Order: sequence, then C-alpha cells, then structure tokens
Amino acid sequence: MSRKDESQRDPSISDLDSLQQRIEARREKYRPKQDKAPASAWSLGMRYGSEFFGGVLVGGALGLVLDYFAGISPWGLMAGTMFGFAAGTLNVVRAAREIGSESQDE
Amino acid sequence: MADTNPIKQFEVHELVPFEAFGLNLAFTNSSFFMVLTTVLTIVLFSLAMSSRALVPNRSQSVAEIIYGFVADMLRSSAGAEGLRFFPFVFTLFIFILVANMLGMFPYFPAPGAHSFTVTSHLIVTVALAMLVWLTVIIYGVFKNGPKFLKLFVPSGVPIYILPFVTLIEVISFISRPISHSVRLFANMLAGHILLKVFAGFIVMLGAGLGAGGYLLGIFPFAMTLGLTALEFLVAFLQAYVFAVLTCIYLSDALHPGH
Repeated sequence: MSRKDESQRDPSISDLDSLQQRIEARREKYRPKQDKAPASAWSLGMRYGSEFFGGVLVGGALGLVLDYFAGISPWGLMAGTMFGFAAGTLNVVRAAREIGSESQDE
Repeated sequence: MADTNPIKQFEVHELVPFEAFGLNLAFTNSSFFMVLTTVLTIVLFSLAMSSRALVPNRSQSVAEIIYGFVADMLRSSAGAEGLRFFPFVFTLFIFILVANMLGMFPYFPAPGAHSFTVTSHLIVTVALAMLVWLTVIIYGVFKNGPKFLKLFVPSGVPIYILPFVTLIEVISFISRPISHSVRLFANMLAGHILLKVFAGFIVMLGAGLGAGGYLLGIFPFAMTLGLTALEFLVAFLQAYVFAVLTCIYLSDALHPGH
C-alpha cells in the first residue's frame, strides 16, 4: 500500500474503504460454497446422544437425591428419570433447531 | 513385538511427585501437555504478532484470522454485548484446539516419549465445561438479578403445566455441562483409540505373517492415513463446537428472557 500524505486524511480513509470493499469482494469470490466444516454424521450423532444422555442422567440423579432425603424410594428415581427423559428430549429438539438454523443460513 | 495396546496412550504417569495436605499433586504428563499447550500458544501468538504490521505477513494473517473467526462466532450468537466474553471464549477455543493438535503427534519428544491428548480425559473437559457453566450462572445472576430465573420459565405456557415445564428446564440446564464435556471427551477418545487400533493391525500382521503380512499391512496403513486426516478435522471441529456452545450458553446469561 502506498503511503499518502498525512495531511490529506479524507482521501486516505476513502482509499482504505475501497480497499476494504475490494478485500470483501475477493473474499466473497473465494469463499467455499459450504462455509461451515461439514458436520460428520459421527459428531452429529455424538451431539444428540450426549444431549439426551445428559438429561436422563441429571433427572435420574436428582430423583435419587430426592429419594435419599425424602425417603420415598423408588418413586423419586422413577419420576426423576421420566422428567430427565423429557429434559433430554428438549435438549435434542433445541440442538436440532440450532443445527437446522445453521444450515439454513448458508 | 511393539506394544499395540490402544488404551496405553491415555495413561497418566507422574513426572515430578509432589504431595501436599495429603493430596497427590504430582506434576504428570497430563500437566506437562497442558503447560506445553499454554506456552506454545503464547509463544506462537507473540511471534506472529511481533511485527504488528498494518499489512500483515503470513503468520500475522493467521493470528488475525483466528481472532476474527472467534469474534464473529461470538457476535453472531451472543450479540455485540457478548464481546466482553471474547478473552474467555478465545482462550477456551485456542486451548482446546492446540491441545487437540498436540495430541495428533504420533510420537513426541516428551517425558514418557508418547503423545498425550489432554482433552481425551473427562476430568479436563469437565473442568472446562464447569468453568463455562459457573460463569453463566454467576454472571447471569450478577447482571440480571432475579430476572435470571426467567431462563427457567418460558413465556406463553399455561399455568397448570408450568411447574413441570420449569422442572424440565432446570434439569435441562443442569445437564448442560455433562453434554458439553462428554462430547469433546468422547470424540477425542474414540478417534485416538480408532487410530491406534488400525495402526496396531499393521504391526500385528507383520509379526504374525512375516513378509506377506507386511504386504497386507498396506490396507490398515491406508485406513490409518485416512483416519489421521479425519482426526485433524475432528480436532478442529470439536474445538469449534465447544466454543460455539460456550457462546450460546453465554448468550443465555446476557439475555435470559430467550
């Protein structure tokens, strides 16, 4: 980039702007069709799996804690697992929505 | 015959024994690789940015691209406000990325003479995920006060099922650090075991069948080659996924009303 006279600030700024535009244009030209790295099926499955697994695990653990302190074994575990199942499903739905909106942007 | 145990690469052994307050605080090969990750990041970034040129050279370009990449990621999922977390997210991303990449060295001139992937240990990823989770809670409560609890009460839900929905939301929130950490850990663990298993086939064929076995060994070798490329992708992708999820969770701390 050629160095301009310091006193002429406006032209140099517009120079920079046009340079920025040119850079953007070239970036756009060379941008790969699919911007995001292709999510491999394995990592996608891992994602859904861990989301669901986490929900059930936490639900069951909370149920067990409730059992221990309230002395209502096995009902806490049963109800907790059910709620954990629901929470896991919610997690999966959210993850799917995120991934869906990501691929829609492209 | 070489050792083909695919789990051996994950062994943690003590390098400098140290004990304090009855706890074993030895400096292990895991700690060594964490220190190495940090030092390498600092040195590489300092070198890359040392010229501070207006028109960057190659290494400075790379540093700036990483910077812009993380900043864009944060801006798109947490808004301009989220940029106050930039140092945090950038550190997490770089730490995981460099640790994953260091793990891709098949041989490493390190104590114990084998490479070690820090992120293939659950305790490390859990620590990172808990850091994010606690940041979300502490910052969310600090910034929004009681309004932070709105995170658990979605709007537009009939009052008679609201308690159940709230309970499910709470469980979903608590399960975040689990899925956040297990994903990174499981991906790294599985990938490295797979690599070692296929590499082990070459040695086993050679030891079992002699010269013909070494010829047959081309097939597992080709597989190892392909898997290595895949593992580099996974190493980057998992660092990216961890950082993106961090951004999404942090955006909950900033805007709890969904």
